[in-house]
Amino acid sequence: MAEDNRRERTVLGGGAMLEVIKPGLETSVQDFPGRLGFWEQGFPPSGPFDMWSHRLANVAVGNREEAATLECQFIGPTLRFRHDAVAAVTGADMAPTLDGRPFPMWEGVAVKDGQVLALGAARTGARAYIAVAGGIDTPPVLGSRSTFHMAGVGGMGGYALRAGQVVPVASVAASPGRHIAEKNRPPIGNQREWTIEAVRGPNDDWIDAAGHEVFLSSRWKLQAKSNRTGFRLDGPPWTFTELATRKRPEHGHDPSNILDHGYPMGAVNLCGQTPIILVVDGPSTGGFINPYTVPSASFWKLAQSRPGDIYRFVEVSVEGAQKMRRHIDRQCMEV
Amino acid sequence: MIYEEPRLRPGGDRCFEVYFGDEMSFDLNFLVHSVCGLVRNARIKGIIELIPEMASMQVSYDPDLISLQDGMREVLSLFRSIESMEALELDSRMFYVPILYFDPWTRACVDDYRAKIADKEWDGDLLVRLNDLTGLDQLRRVHAASDYWVAALGFWPGLCSLMPLDPRSRLVAPKYNPPRTWTPKGTIGHGGAITCIYPDQTPGGYQIFARTPMPIWDREQRLAAFKDSLALFRPGDRVRFQPIDREEYDYVDAKVRDRSFKHNVVEYQRFSIRNYHRWLKTIDESERF
Repeated sequence: MAEDNRRERTVLGGGAMLEVIKPGLETSVQDFPGRLGFWEQGFPPSGPFDMWSHRLANVAVGNREEAATLECQFIGPTLRFRHDAVAAVTGADMAPTLDGRPFPMWEGVAVKDGQVLALGAARTGARAYIAVAGGIDTPPVLGSRSTFHMAGVGGMGGYALRAGQVVPVASVAASPGRHIAEKNRPPIGNQREWTIEAVRGPNDDWIDAAGHEVFLSSRWKLQAKSNRTGFRLDGPPWTFTELATRKRPEHGHDPSNILDHGYPMGAVNLCGQTPIILVVDGPSTGGFINPYTVPSASFWKLAQSRPGDIYRFVEVSVEGAQKMRRHIDRQCMEV
Repeated sequence: MIYEEPRLRPGGDRCFEVYFGDEMSFDLNFLVHSVCGLVRNARIKGIIELIPEMASMQVSYDPDLISLQDGMREVLSLFRSIESMEALELDSRMFYVPILYFDPWTRACVDDYRAKIADKEWDGDLLVRLNDLTGLDQLRRVHAASDYWVAALGFWPGLCSLMPLDPRSRLVAPKYNPPRTWTPKGTIGHGGAITCIYPDQTPGGYQIFARTPMPIWDREQRLAAFKDSLALFRPGDRVRFQPIDREEYDYVDAKVRDRSFKHNVVEYQRFSIRNYHRWLKTIDESERF
């Protein structure tokens, strides 16, 4: 009983929080690296799609990079602060304003109780991240605050933010003024064509030499039917080796079918003739082959691209992909 | 076939796949879970998660803590430490699952599909016909006669692939084409040679003919069985279906609603593949129930 009273007083007394005035197109709570340890039961890691921008948003407000932020997709939210805070916006440029005046991006900025942070439509990129000193403080589910929309798990009741909701923030003392230098940021511009790194495997041996040549030399167009689960691509047909065409019946009828196996994050999952890059909320397992895998260091490019954008894939070794990953790690630590 | 040595393939900068063979068989899946158990127990620094599947295992790792080569080498050496397939044993929980065959909800779901998406033979009749059974009574007997092995989980959280351990209960069925847009929560379905329980109301493609009131997925973690996760099963568990009537269904459903329901699970059993093979030799596989 005493405990209940205490909890109520904290809320009534105006604990740190954000009031959702407009939710934006799809704004969700995500922490880094997401929900680990439950993949074997079918829970994907989730977490921020552009991990680089998420981490830098936390750096700018003095949080640990793991802290939960708000991931905003295409159109950002309008939020009223219910406490004095330090906040930062990174990633896509959604022309953020504070009480109507431009709010500088890539920087920890002091915000007063009652002030309104508003993000609009993305002018560059597709996903912005809002970090608040202390971190978004929704209750963790299976060890993570990340939202997994498909199954309604984590974040604000399992789904994207809705108008009228109040998002809890872990209140801490913080100082503004920390700036992320341009050289440490992901280079998000107005590009509509992207070079995306891809590691061969796990099922590259199911694709013949001509098929690999076509994959690496073609322009692949990102379909509108793309979300945090998968990015669907339009492009030329694939061709296969005998592993795909002469196999045991339990693999399935289509050349792209394989006996159910695990799906790595970033897998270029070939569903019939449609490649789908499986991203942060992708299914854990399934019955299609994955000839290539997009490494984690290239995820920011996927996260910041838009339907209609063109991808060209370039092969990178596992070691090369890990070098890219370490490069991003350094950008997040150098600040 | 089961490969002499597993085939290891990278999946990006943080994962690799371990393929143990290319067939759907209990022995191969048992090997997958055995190696999975060895890797887990070895507590290798930098190995983060394992996803055991039908014939393969996915390993995710932290490249700052372990290299791809070292991760693969560790898994291979654990595989090589297995001296005899026959000697493998695994702890295996047994869940008793109340099941109402030919229930009104899956019937309504199929009717809805036939009206809105495509006409098709009713799923129960289709299973009877394709498996040369005498009728629905025999379908129920055959389906409920076997213990089922949780061969894998995935695609959707908690969605389980159940393999019948008794060859006399083997059933085959095609999948829906196009798939259903919805399936009632707790529906039991069968596709290929695999039975599944739908954890929640989701799209689906298996033939559907029964439903359980027992939750295998609980987003709010209200029941005690969901203390550690939102999903009930883990790979290597077993399931035994217990046919119930509508009255019993409603009784269990009411207990789930008032949160007094307790899952019936047995945790003291160990599955020995040698004993299983020995038992298989004693039965006539062509017999139905």
